[in-house]
Amino acid sequence: MKKRWMKLMSLSVAVVMTMSLAACGSSSGDDSSQDSSGSSEDKTITYWNIGTEGADKAALEYAVDAFNENTDSGYQVEMVAIQNDNYKERLVVAMSSGECPDMYTSWSGGPMNEYIDSGFAQPVDDLYEEYGLNDIFMEAATAQASYNGHIYAVPTYNVSLAGIFYNTEIFDEYGLEVPTTLSELEAVCDTLVENGITPFALANAPKWTGSMFYQCLVARYAGLEPFQAAVDGSGSFEDECFQWAGEKIQEWVQKGYFPEGVNSLDEDAGQAKQLMYQETAAMMLTGSWYTGTFSTDSPEFYEKIDWFSFPAVDGSDADTSIQIGTIGDQFVSFNCEGEKLDAAFECASYYASDEAQQVMVDNGKIPPTKNAESLVTDPISKKVLEAANGASSTQLWWDQYLAPEVAQVHLDTCQELFGLTMTPEEADAQLQAAMEEYNADK
Amino acid sequence: MKKTKIKSRISWAIAIILAVAGLIIAIVPFIFMILNSFKDKFEMLTNGIFALPEEWSLANYKTVLEANFPRYFLNSVVVLVISLTILLFIAACASYPLSRMKFKGNGFIYSVIVACMAIPVHITLIPIFRMSQAMHVYDTIWALIGPYVAIGVPISVFILTSFMKSIPKEIEEAAEIDGCSRFKMFFKIMLPMAKPGLSTLAIYNGVTMWNEYIFAYTLTQSADSRTLPLAVWDFRGQYSMDIPMIMAVLTLTALPMIILFIFAQDKLIKGMTAGAVKG
Amino acid sequence: MKKNKNSLAVRRQREVNKVAAVFLAPVILVLVVYIFYPIVNTFQISTLDWNGISADSTFIGLDNWIELLHDKAFWTAFLNNIKVMLLSILIQIPLGLAMATFVEFAGKKSTIFKILWFIPQLMSSVAVGFLFTYALATNGGIISSISQLLGGGLVDLLGNPDTALYTVIGVIAWQFTPFYMVYCVASYTNISEDVYEASLVDGATKGQYFWKIALPLLKPSLKSAAILSMVGSLKYFDLIYVMTGGGPGTSTELMATYMYKESFANFNMGYGSAVAGGMFILITLISLITMRILNGKED
Repeated sequence: MKKRWMKLMSLSVAVVMTMSLAACGSSSGDDSSQDSSGSSEDKTITYWNIGTEGADKAALEYAVDAFNENTDSGYQVEMVAIQNDNYKERLVVAMSSGECPDMYTSWSGGPMNEYIDSGFAQPVDDLYEEYGLNDIFMEAATAQASYNGHIYAVPTYNVSLAGIFYNTEIFDEYGLEVPTTLSELEAVCDTLVENGITPFALANAPKWTGSMFYQCLVARYAGLEPFQAAVDGSGSFEDECFQWAGEKIQEWVQKGYFPEGVNSLDEDAGQAKQLMYQETAAMMLTGSWYTGTFSTDSPEFYEKIDWFSFPAVDGSDADTSIQIGTIGDQFVSFNCEGEKLDAAFECASYYASDEAQQVMVDNGKIPPTKNAESLVTDPISKKVLEAANGASSTQLWWDQYLAPEVAQVHLDTCQELFGLTMTPEEADAQLQAAMEEYNADK
Repeated sequence: MKKTKIKSRISWAIAIILAVAGLIIAIVPFIFMILNSFKDKFEMLTNGIFALPEEWSLANYKTVLEANFPRYFLNSVVVLVISLTILLFIAACASYPLSRMKFKGNGFIYSVIVACMAIPVHITLIPIFRMSQAMHVYDTIWALIGPYVAIGVPISVFILTSFMKSIPKEIEEAAEIDGCSRFKMFFKIMLPMAKPGLSTLAIYNGVTMWNEYIFAYTLTQSADSRTLPLAVWDFRGQYSMDIPMIMAVLTLTALPMIILFIFAQDKLIKGMTAGAVKG
Repeated sequence: MKKNKNSLAVRRQREVNKVAAVFLAPVILVLVVYIFYPIVNTFQISTLDWNGISADSTFIGLDNWIELLHDKAFWTAFLNNIKVMLLSILIQIPLGLAMATFVEFAGKKSTIFKILWFIPQLMSSVAVGFLFTYALATNGGIISSISQLLGGGLVDLLGNPDTALYTVIGVIAWQFTPFYMVYCVASYTNISEDVYEASLVDGATKGQYFWKIALPLLKPSLKSAAILSMVGSLKYFDLIYVMTGGGPGTSTELMATYMYKESFANFNMGYGSAVAGGMFILITLISLITMRILNGKED
């Protein structure tokens, strides 16, 4: 009985498999039947974004409300706000089921390019021109909304750069100055370590947080060319500058520049800024959206905080005005055509209005517009904006910019660098292998 | 005689010490959770995690309960009750012929059902997502019932079949001689006798369904149709940095199940023992 | 006469078939719709080069499967799964049995233990994941706090690739051991009261009763428990997804998290489906082998 039972069980597996293999030849095509929501009868535009609460909600919702009130297109936009955490997965599920929303935001970069390649975003060069958005948004913002020479999205609400927040009280206490070179930064760190203070608050469980150190080190050491070359295949991630950045990170780990257990600290659980609030850490390299985080968490603490851009590497002639970050943060893409596209774009164009920009500023954001300077009053935001405007170029976060599967390898290996469980050579070789594989498949 | 008494005393002492140790391991994380749920957002960061709250403030709980929490709770209850009832009933139905009747294909059907345990459910997401849209149940709690029942079926049939096999055949044979029909036999004899197995399964599947989130996350969208595990996500998004608030949400999510278990465990055990005595 | 008897048997068999069909129909319907169809679909997709969202997909036959065979990341994840599986069985079932035995021997007085022990099982994996992220934090977590009290340093369990997986296994055991306790309690109730009393009358101690009488009787239940635990560990997902995301590096990556990442985050739906298919086959194979071993022992 038992033996028969098992025979049958294996048989059942075999049946399932043959069934599938037999079926796969015939119906493989229609698994991905595309969205049909563009039907002309429907006058509702669905718009997905991450504006579930607070500042994001206020900034993203503004354009929708303004559009619904003022438009004479006959369309109405229905905004669907989705939790940031699983937003990307959610979008994939929707797209693969042919239920892609008419408008949706993304962080641009690699995933946006996938959406475009798969036909879920329309080029909007003409509309962009027509609404004069070229003159309103910063060039870097428009550049991040573009792919293969066409504009595919409208930037929305924030300029965010990688930079170092620091506690001015702690700096004053130990007589420290804002460092302008890496050796000065290291001197600052050494002083802090001697006094029992962790130089950098960092929670590296989600991996992208530590990756900012790597990105900044590479950019200051060698500029952006080696990275661009590595991505397009003319260069390599095994180039010296990547190796140097990896070694630097490991040197800093060993010197105690980061909190203990850095790879298990959870950024989403606030474990990095916790160290800042407890004043056991003095600096934090992170995205400048943290101005909003600090100021809403504790206005008193925010008084103690200041910001500087990542310092220059001694002896390197790399352009120090280069910035890592995003100019726009969220970008609206359009998955509709004709009249509907016109209406959807009209809605998105409200992000460029003066009123919308004011809403963004009021919510602690820096609008990615040329006019932002006259609006922003917060001293740290002004510094960030200055850095953004002065940048010869701004590289989008690597983990956004790279194709997702390559980005994943970068994040994994970079985390291992922090854990000292992988040498820089191994990390670079792995990343290069992933990049080559991706380029070969393309 | 005396020696064995001492020996048994010592082993009891050891057993109790170990039991208490197990108790501590089981509940310390809970104490951590409940303690911190009363704190103010900054108190936990500055005073450390095991300090008693400066004030036993219910503010966090109030905020949670005033948000959409009660709706989530109600949705969870409705989904759980319906899915669990359907699941246990159809699983018992299927286990009866599988454990008791000789017919062609019995072994095969059983193997196929049990082999389904091996399926990584996450890959069924997209087909089920599409299906729920085709059936016009997407973004309602009804979309969850089908998948929840299906996820529970293989394990339930597996356990119930082996359970029913262990019920002595004599009782059934006696009933058959009395002219009892198969259907009557199922409702009058097998179902009551299977109670212990059903209770275990009710706990297992109930907990799984109560806590399931990947399907709930994918198949529902509006706040009106979401279930409790999503409350944790939603609050975490909204109060990502307010750890005590998250702890309050976690406590409130776990509480209904804990209360239910405390009250029902007596009945559950009774059900189990009743089945055993008859068996 | 003989013929007559045969036809009676045939008629009876027919009736049995009919009854069986009626009883089995609902389960089969549910499985076909929610499980078989998706599996067939998964195997189909695994033969495609498809990013999951595009209208274009290319049929590439078994290429994904061949890649899977050579994919180091997948086999590392598989190995992690095996570790989780073995340790889960070795920790959860004996502990669950011990707890159930304690409850069984101590009688009514032990109800409070039973309730409190069971609490972890009542929480969702998402909640357990969040809870332990804070509870095991290097700075300010429970273990670190205790270690500092004892004069030790901070303890980093989840950030260290050597300990992360074992820590997660510990948390999984924390959550699921209570289930096996209840499972064993239920199995104990299957042993009739008379057997217990008879053995005591014969002068057996509780220890002797447990080893000589109860354990052999519980064996079939324990086997099913082992299979449950095995299958569960091989497709484990939730807690890892919430707690470590597979990290640090890839040290806690499991097959299911790898599949989810490939399918939904890395735009490799075709390959992700091959991973899912691979999981399905591996889990089935391992279950078959285990059953053969377990049943072999019995004979």
